[in-house]
Amino acid sequence: MKHGAIAILPLALGAAIYGFAFGLLAAQVGFPWWGVGLMSATVHSGSSQIVAVEQFASTQTVVGAALAGAALNLRYIGIVASLSDVLAGLSLKTKLLAIHITGDENWALTMAERAKSPDVGAAFLMGSGLVMITVWTASTTAGAVVGAVIPDLERFGIGFAFTAAFIAMARGLWRGRPQLFPCVVAAAATIAVVSLGLPKAYAIVAGTISGLAMSLILRRASGAVA
Amino acid sequence: MSGAHWGVIGILALAAFSIRVLGLIAGGRIRASRHAWVLDDLPGLIVVSLVAASLAGQPLQTWVAAGAALGAAVLTNHVIATMVVGVVAFAGLAVVGL
Repeated sequence: MKHGAIAILPLALGAAIYGFAFGLLAAQVGFPWWGVGLMSATVHSGSSQIVAVEQFASTQTVVGAALAGAALNLRYIGIVASLSDVLAGLSLKTKLLAIHITGDENWALTMAERAKSPDVGAAFLMGSGLVMITVWTASTTAGAVVGAVIPDLERFGIGFAFTAAFIAMARGLWRGRPQLFPCVVAAAATIAVVSLGLPKAYAIVAGTISGLAMSLILRRASGAVA
Repeated sequence: MSGAHWGVIGILALAAFSIRVLGLIAGGRIRASRHAWVLDDLPGLIVVSLVAASLAGQPLQTWVAAGAALGAAVLTNHVIATMVVGVVAFAGLAVVGL
């Protein structure tokens, strides 16, 4: 466990900076510092949290904001599924703890280290995961504490930080040219729905469904989906 | 903290953990199904739609700042660097009155 906890430290530093920035933004839109900490400890997913907080701030819809954030977490179905060998033999309680403290960074590090040495397993995953969730919770809380005592940052354009974060996430999720048309269709549909005067929450759903439809059409045309 | 704040945190935490448990129970079967591509495509399409919703109807300043942020994202693939470039561009354009 100690091996994983030490190996993850450089990645944890990067997460701490991102976490501090998220906490700052969350406080600016009305989340108290302890609420931010609670969210980080119980959700443990940066992209989901930033999407949910931004959607809640802009639309005030509770379920819509939470589900939009949760949808970003669908990749964890595959991530957790890939851990079946690593988690084999653990009790159910330990497995549930392990999957909660698993994030993108410690999962990727565990898989990379395991490819080099089969001895790397659940202890490494959990050691690195415990460091990551601790750093994430502490850094987001610290950001929220600072964000609550500084003046309104909106006039300095801090609200645009959410948009910039989404752009960075889109870049991180980019998997190449086959995604281009679905993304263009999703963006065009979203803008069209907003232009019609409908709420942005609906526009995002319409854009996402339109993009999925285009992706299905392209996959059927290429024979990838029956 | 209002009930709505509690609601967002509670529902998000429950949904996020449920997705992880789903991966533990049925991840292998889901990944092998013919609908697995939806899991791959959905997150990216949601994020693109979020960006588009943020930019729709916004002034030129916001679109130019988004272009700067996109440039930073392509070059660095780093969240914090992209946020810094985007916010600095946005604030800088506001200062010069664009």
